[in-house]
Amino acid sequence: MQKYEFLEHTADVMFVAYGKTFNELFENAAEALESTMVLLDGVAEAQSTAITVSSDSCENLLYDWLAELLIKFEVERFAVRKCFVRIVDLLLTADCLGETVDPRRHKLNTEVKAVTYHNLSIGKNDVYHAEITLDV
Amino acid sequence: MTFEELLKRDEFIWEVPQDVALGMRVPGRIFISDRLKNYLEQGAIQQVANVATLPGIQKWSLAMPDVHTGYGFPIGGVAAFDVADGVLSPGGVGFDINCGTRLLATTLLKEEIAPRIDELVTALFDAIPSGLGSKGSLRLSEKELDDVFFGGAKWAVNHGYGNPADLKHCESNGCLDGADPAKVSPLAKKRGKPQLGTLGSGNHFLEIQYVDRIFDEKAAHLFGLKEEQICIMLHSGSRGAGHQICSDYLRMFQAASRKYSIGLVDKQLACVPADSHEAREYFSAMAAAANYAWTNRQVMSFWTRDVLERKFNTTATLVYDVAHNIAKLEKHVINGERKDVYVHRKGATRAFDQDTSYGIEQPVLIPGSMGTASYVLHGTKKAMSTTFGSTCHGAGRVLSRKAARRSLTWREVTEDLHQKHITIKTEDLAAVPEEAPEAYKPIDEVIDVVSKLGISEAVARLTPVGVIKG
Repeated sequence: MQKYEFLEHTADVMFVAYGKTFNELFENAAEALESTMVLLDGVAEAQSTAITVSSDSCENLLYDWLAELLIKFEVERFAVRKCFVRIVDLLLTADCLGETVDPRRHKLNTEVKAVTYHNLSIGKNDVYHAEITLDV
Repeated sequence: MTFEELLKRDEFIWEVPQDVALGMRVPGRIFISDRLKNYLEQGAIQQVANVATLPGIQKWSLAMPDVHTGYGFPIGGVAAFDVADGVLSPGGVGFDINCGTRLLATTLLKEEIAPRIDELVTALFDAIPSGLGSKGSLRLSEKELDDVFFGGAKWAVNHGYGNPADLKHCESNGCLDGADPAKVSPLAKKRGKPQLGTLGSGNHFLEIQYVDRIFDEKAAHLFGLKEEQICIMLHSGSRGAGHQICSDYLRMFQAASRKYSIGLVDKQLACVPADSHEAREYFSAMAAAANYAWTNRQVMSFWTRDVLERKFNTTATLVYDVAHNIAKLEKHVINGERKDVYVHRKGATRAFDQDTSYGIEQPVLIPGSMGTASYVLHGTKKAMSTTFGSTCHGAGRVLSRKAARRSLTWREVTEDLHQKHITIKTEDLAAVPEEAPEAYKPIDEVIDVVSKLGISEAVARLTPVGVIKG
């Protein structure tokens, strides 16, 4: 199973994330977002941080989770290399491993302005899948 | 939704009939030529139709000739909503609130700058932070940031970053009334605080251009433009502050839309009644972001002038500063009646037939893609009756960023710029193909359509000689 796949979108960045479980879907969506902003190969799992997000629907939880990671990146300059997500009753807790971004050591990619709600959906065929559009 | 479903109403006017999609309250109108029609995406037509489903929309859901698929509203979208029974939609403004364009005119001529263009580009690149997560050199207190949100470009001028004449040459004098820093979340303030005076990344840029053609001598003279003159164009917005304000209110409006029983065909179109307290709060926060953006461009102008003074012992005057992602409370004649409406411009530029800045029609600034011409135009009466006083905002993308990177290398693109005698500096070479001319529609064709349609008229064409890509 592919973790995620970037799709064509004229103006912005769109991807579909996959996961055998809901937790894995959220972990892979996080990796797709982080890889949009920074080359993940260069990011070490040197520090850890915990994130907690609760929401009123699965889609909103995914939006809030990605928005939280975006803030961590922009405000705290923390890039997440790997995360472990647990979701129980629309309460997400995550242990995130990564490090502080240093433009001299890390290859920065695209500035993400925001996660959008555009066509935001979570579905399941063989595995869970979610489509996300980022404003860049 | 396909092109075959559109009806040709006139030369350059294609209608999205009201009955092609469920829930459309008005028809859509897309302004394109036969050539630009080839670039029109089904997704963009669908988004024009989606906007037409929003409550209180007046006359048409519009798309300018540079239209392309966005999220929620199409990019190039314009819609006006009744103040009494219409809505305000953060998605109709976008995340980069008051992303806009500013043009400074120097006293230098092309031939004077040619031998020193690399030096000038490098000095500007060093003076103005650009690229992902760039931080400015301004250190603002919480109180000062609130003053920026409240005062806009006026704050910058009062603190020495420009002169009072600059304010006269900004849309809305560089400040939207009704801004309230208290409606801006702590997180938005945190994102915005270190970024004032930064260009950002993606399609944001600073270009050194020269006036290569004048179409309207009288207007060009009034705007202070003459042939061969060196100008500097800035394209930037409200940075993280605006992005977060839009995110905060979109999030809030997901639930609020349900509260007001507004059915949404796309969650990104979340909106609230224009006369609700939620709408008033959003407008106050959006105005704060718009003011931040005007301050941002004003501060970058100050550093640009500082470089011109240090390197060339000269300065530059502000020709104009115009927003292209914004919602404004305006008066328009609708079905014979003059009404207050909230005009949402998402990748569209105001193009009024009257403006106080020069006493003639309002200047309009339309940047081309990297390495191609940009235009100065002015608004028209026709724009007032056809597009709620709006026109295009640029060339408009045709290739996704991914496709652009696939089909071009940064070496090819920079070599092409070099062939055209254009110097480029950027923090992110790998992203250069994303902004290549091939990734955009031909700007000359877009300008041709808005001119022939009569929603704006060309004053001057500017050709780049140096580019700082954000």
